[in-house]
Amino acid sequence: MMALDPERKRALFEATALPLTTALYNTALRLTGASADASDLVQETFLRAYRTFENFSLGTNCKAWLLTILYSIHINQRKRAEHTTIALPPEEVEALLDEDAGDDQRLPELDERWGPEVDRALGDLAEPLRAAILLVDIEQLPYEEAAAALGWPVGTLRSRLFRARKRLFATLEGYARATGYLRKPVRPE
Amino acid sequence: MTGYHPLGEEIQDFADGRLTPARREDLEAHLATCPQCGRELERLRWVKEGTARLPMHEPPLDLPARVAQALDSEDRRGSRASPLRRYLLAAAGVLAAAAAVVILLSRGPRDLPSAVGRDFAAYRKAVLSLDTASGDGPTLERYFAWRGLAFRTRVFDLGMMGYGLVGARVHRLDGRPSALFAYRGVGDHTLMCQMFEGSLDELPQGGEAREHNGIEFRIFKQHGLTLVFWMEGSVVCVLVSDVPGEDVVQLAYAKAVKV
Repeated sequence: MMALDPERKRALFEATALPLTTALYNTALRLTGASADASDLVQETFLRAYRTFENFSLGTNCKAWLLTILYSIHINQRKRAEHTTIALPPEEVEALLDEDAGDDQRLPELDERWGPEVDRALGDLAEPLRAAILLVDIEQLPYEEAAAALGWPVGTLRSRLFRARKRLFATLEGYARATGYLRKPVRPE
Repeated sequence: MTGYHPLGEEIQDFADGRLTPARREDLEAHLATCPQCGRELERLRWVKEGTARLPMHEPPLDLPARVAQALDSEDRRGSRASPLRRYLLAAAGVLAAAAAVVILLSRGPRDLPSAVGRDFAAYRKAVLSLDTASGDGPTLERYFAWRGLAFRTRVFDLGMMGYGLVGARVHRLDGRPSALFAYRGVGDHTLMCQMFEGSLDELPQGGEAREHNGIEFRIFKQHGLTLVFWMEGSVVCVLVSDVPGEDVVQLAYAKAVKV
């Protein structure tokens, strides 16, 4: 985009980027786990996006562009704060997830009543796995745009998305059994 | 296919619609005869659909105002730029203005009713949020003044007509600042008002013209919405809602004042 006069730039930014506040806030909330941190992250994302708005090509996916900035800020903040390392789940967990329960029972529909459980299970995922779900399943970005936003090759996104969904299934299936939606699996002796 | 099972990631590609038609056909044939892979597909879809259905959390009410303030600060920083940067911006401005003229000439008169209608729809879908929540008109008028709107706003009290104020935002309509405020009525009906500097001459042809108490009104109906425009001094006011059209007109008649 060519350089814009300040008023036109502000108007375009408000029309293009700000309507995505709710989507950004929800992604930020699910990344940080706290409303105040999510608000700070969204504010910083919009500010950086505004400063570099000339780099954005009108007509391309503004949500993907903003999520790229948001995730980059989030990762840098995490690194600076030297919080927990962003480790992927250990191999043993992966192996467990590959087990087939051999259960033919019908899965309960994950309707709105399941919102808190799904959110909690999502929050328990390692961050890269959670980010894959947030961008592909919740924000509905194509693999290529989600991978670019997260700074990963498409193959890495595909693999992490698969593991994320498997882990979520394992956790939610546990909830389903605990709440009686599914019977405990009966395994042959 | 006996004894062969595709990789889980390939089943995921199937669920996400990322396979070539030929590979998709192969996998469909396998899934039809393999309960184990069928279950894998069902699980992936279960999670995918469950997460896609997660409720959206509303951002805190003060977040839009915080973002607007951050952008205002950035704008003020930009206006103190170096002479060279100002020159480059001015040059870019000339080019942008030329481009804008071309765009305006190619699209004809401004379609303010459509822009107002889009804002109404965006607000109803919670895509457009309010900067501040208040049911008090004078508070919202002070808010608009504090946010630096260069014109005087008049936030109508429609309580007698069954509409309570919800809140307001400093908005942009067709590239200019606008005071936007919203009401909620009985049955969860929404009524929105916008005020901005301009003229009724900017409106496109096709609206119905009426006069009431010496005030000219222009009425547009589109996509189930009724939009009523009138002038108060140099400020254009517009009321928009999806309630019966004559109700919107009567609300405008009741609140419009000749300036």
